[in-house]
Amino acid sequence: MKRPIAMFVSFFVCAVLLAGCWSKKELTDLAVVIAVGLDKTKDGRYLASFQVVNPGNVAGALQRGGGAGGVPVSIYTSTGDTLVEASRKASKKLSRILYYAHTNLVVISEEVARQGLNGVFDAMERSHQFRTTARLVIAHGHSAKEVLSVLTPIDKISANQIIKTLEFSEMSWGQTINTDVWWAIRGLTSSGRNTVVTGVVIEGNPQQGKRQTNVQSSVPDARISLDGLALFKKDRLVRWVNGSTERGVLWVLDRIKQTNITIPWKGKKEAIAYRTMGVKTGLKVKLKNGQPSILVHIQTEGDISETYVPINLADYRLLFQLEKAIGRDIEREVKQAIETAQHEKTDVFGFGEAVHRADPLLWKRIKKEWDDRYFPHLRVTVKVDASIRRTGLRNTPYIK
Amino acid sequence: MLFQWGMGRQKKQINDGVKQEGPDHSGEAADVPQEPMSAELAVNLDIIRQTTGQSSDVVIRRFSLGQERQIKAAIVFVDGLVDEKHVYEFLLTPLLEASFPLSLTEKEWFPWIEQKLAAVGGVKHVVDWEHLFLELFSGETIILLDGVPSAVSASTKGGQYRAIEEPQTQIAVRGPREGFTESLRANTAMIRRRIKNPNLWLETMQIGTVTQTDVAIMYIKGIANDEVIEEVRARLRRIDTDSVLESGYIEQLIEDQTFTTFPTIYHTERPDVVAANLLEGRIAILIQGTPFILIVPALFIQFFQAVEDYYARFDIATALRFLRVLIFFLSLVAPSIYIAATTFHQEMIPTQLVIAIAAQREAVPFPAFVEALIMEVTFEILREAGIRLPRAVGQAVSIVGALVIGEVAINAGFVSSAMVIVVSLTAIASFATPSFAIAISARLIRFGLMFLAAMFGFYGIIMGLLVMILHLCSLRSFGMPYMSPLAPFISTNVGDTLFRIPTWMYRERPRLINQKNIIRQSGDQKPQPPAPTRREKEDGS
Repeated sequence: MKRPIAMFVSFFVCAVLLAGCWSKKELTDLAVVIAVGLDKTKDGRYLASFQVVNPGNVAGALQRGGGAGGVPVSIYTSTGDTLVEASRKASKKLSRILYYAHTNLVVISEEVARQGLNGVFDAMERSHQFRTTARLVIAHGHSAKEVLSVLTPIDKISANQIIKTLEFSEMSWGQTINTDVWWAIRGLTSSGRNTVVTGVVIEGNPQQGKRQTNVQSSVPDARISLDGLALFKKDRLVRWVNGSTERGVLWVLDRIKQTNITIPWKGKKEAIAYRTMGVKTGLKVKLKNGQPSILVHIQTEGDISETYVPINLADYRLLFQLEKAIGRDIEREVKQAIETAQHEKTDVFGFGEAVHRADPLLWKRIKKEWDDRYFPHLRVTVKVDASIRRTGLRNTPYIK
Repeated sequence: MLFQWGMGRQKKQINDGVKQEGPDHSGEAADVPQEPMSAELAVNLDIIRQTTGQSSDVVIRRFSLGQERQIKAAIVFVDGLVDEKHVYEFLLTPLLEASFPLSLTEKEWFPWIEQKLAAVGGVKHVVDWEHLFLELFSGETIILLDGVPSAVSASTKGGQYRAIEEPQTQIAVRGPREGFTESLRANTAMIRRRIKNPNLWLETMQIGTVTQTDVAIMYIKGIANDEVIEEVRARLRRIDTDSVLESGYIEQLIEDQTFTTFPTIYHTERPDVVAANLLEGRIAILIQGTPFILIVPALFIQFFQAVEDYYARFDIATALRFLRVLIFFLSLVAPSIYIAATTFHQEMIPTQLVIAIAAQREAVPFPAFVEALIMEVTFEILREAGIRLPRAVGQAVSIVGALVIGEVAINAGFVSSAMVIVVSLTAIASFATPSFAIAISARLIRFGLMFLAAMFGFYGIIMGLLVMILHLCSLRSFGMPYMSPLAPFISTNVGDTLFRIPTWMYRERPRLINQKNIIRQSGDQKPQPPAPTRREKEDGS
């Protein structure tokens, strides 16, 4: 009988001593932080805002105990010289432990972004709870705290609203980019690529947006909307771009899935709309006398989705002409984006990485001066192959 | 119970004839008179009356034999155990009508009666009291003659038994409908009807000093391993107990390892299952008075094999096998995973779900472990009540049960609805496990795993499962490793474990169970469409 007892004891001793999971915490003791916002106070310290879920008030989880009319999230703020300090300090205001494993969104204010992000992500990457897959946006025009305070009608938790908007807007409109913390860190550490991050703005009155009445109206007083793309140089935000320039960046980054392009036809501007279905962008590096140049090759397939002019779409010669026109339009967008970036001397497209792959030895020589000396004068050729696969359920429009 | 895996195997104790030589338990039992039988009928009948305490169901009927000389005689039988019509028609009538020769000596009278009673199945000469009473209470009729110091027992077994019905436990949609009954003879007949082979052997013995229960070992000579048969015989002979009322008594007295929650002996109510196991070289132990027949050696995987697997096509059977293993796993760990995930590993739950669970738990005053424990225990109480209650009250239990595990419990703030789902899932899973014996062991282990999960999270669950698997690998059933053919791995037999390969591929019987006669069928059993005729070939090309 001695052996089984010895086994039993050793098992339990092992279990107790080796337990890596001695971190029991009941769900009711946790404050699930769904989003983190970062601002700067006037004296230059961090002002961290934590959007904490109030589970009892989230729709779908409405059971007993959930007071109808309560708000689904609550914002806690605290200041600190470092993020961890701010996070720990917040415990003075919170009855629960801040829990970051479900933090899906990081909002950084424009002010912080302009001053430099360098130190910001270390704590996020180092923490075992925090996920670097959390999405990243820059608050444009308002503070991060104000952005997180706005209550949203459909996805009750505003962080979810922003995340889903990011995801689906990139997929169907292609002017914003769905980036996460990991992508930002990659941009910060790579010498051949800079980061781009989508901006988020408040449309309306942020003071009204905090109140429950905001979600009780069919036209809320304040809405959160994605707007603009922040181009970073190293860790600093240098420029906002909007509209077609914004999309030009995404064309090069090969992030476009579906979008809509309107081209002029026979003198009429905005005449025919083309919807892309599949896009593939390739970067090719050509080296001539030790000088790299880039060929951006975009292949896109899609449908005609709308026309405002009478055109016989059954005629394939016309379709070829249309394809060329679409190609020119895309080329214009891309060139515009590249020129903007070259003007700001920030390679947000990853051209440097492409050069690195094509000629590592050359890259070793030029990488230090890439952004400031080589990239602004880089010769970039854009080639677009657009093809029309379908014209929708109709050939000739009824417009005469 | 989980931690017995370090313990060495028990030493074999084969001790022949203990039953006779061992301490005398028989005194408390029958008080069978030791003196020889008397020549006088009246004395013998007195002894019978006294020994049986004048029990009213022991019928003694006196009569006279022979036309010329009146010889006093008597038949003794137990009312209800014999076929009464049989006794009067084929036993009493021929004896009364026969002329009894005067010159009959003591030695000649047995053959004479045997001849007269040709219409009766079996006739035995009984010379001592012990045998006489055994025969009497087995349902035989005893014939006593005046002047003869011995008796004759004639086979008149009969009486009421439950009819052959559909088995209550292992139900199959497709497959034979008959199940075993409490009658040993009916049971052996059901097996014999399935295997018409002289090599199907049956050995009978009596176990239980008081009950003298008939126990039979059945096996197919030539397929079953002789060493295992000898081991079964030896273990049965070792039994020295007063009573055997159900196969469970025997099971617990002959199993290899007592301190385990896992059954190492298979039991079944279905004759087709017994037949199939006999054909694989296993040995069946039949016990008078129970419809549950034991099968040894039993393997872990056997408890996941439903009889219908072999009647259904292989793809379906394989899919169901996987489902059953999943079910077993669920019934083991579902509550512990809930506990571990909600108290240790919240990051593993999708965000939306963790918020939903958190919302439900807001109003629950207990920690997740206590909550799970309350629900699991409640469910076990309900199940126990459901099984034991008279049918008429059963409905009330299910109504009240729905209140306890359901909406009302949630509204009362006792438990969260996620917990109710987990408990219900566990319950359904444990009902869906094909073998009750293995489902019940999962029930016990589940609570152990819940404790570990509450203490150490997933780490504890994994440790618990690890110990369970080690323990399983250390078990043996009549010398067979319990986890074979998975551990030790026997590639030719793996086709009938998690998978169920097509029937035509079953070339071999399970190894280890029988070593010599392993080929079951020829290797070219694959069904094929008829070869194309020459004309079809030409058309095709």
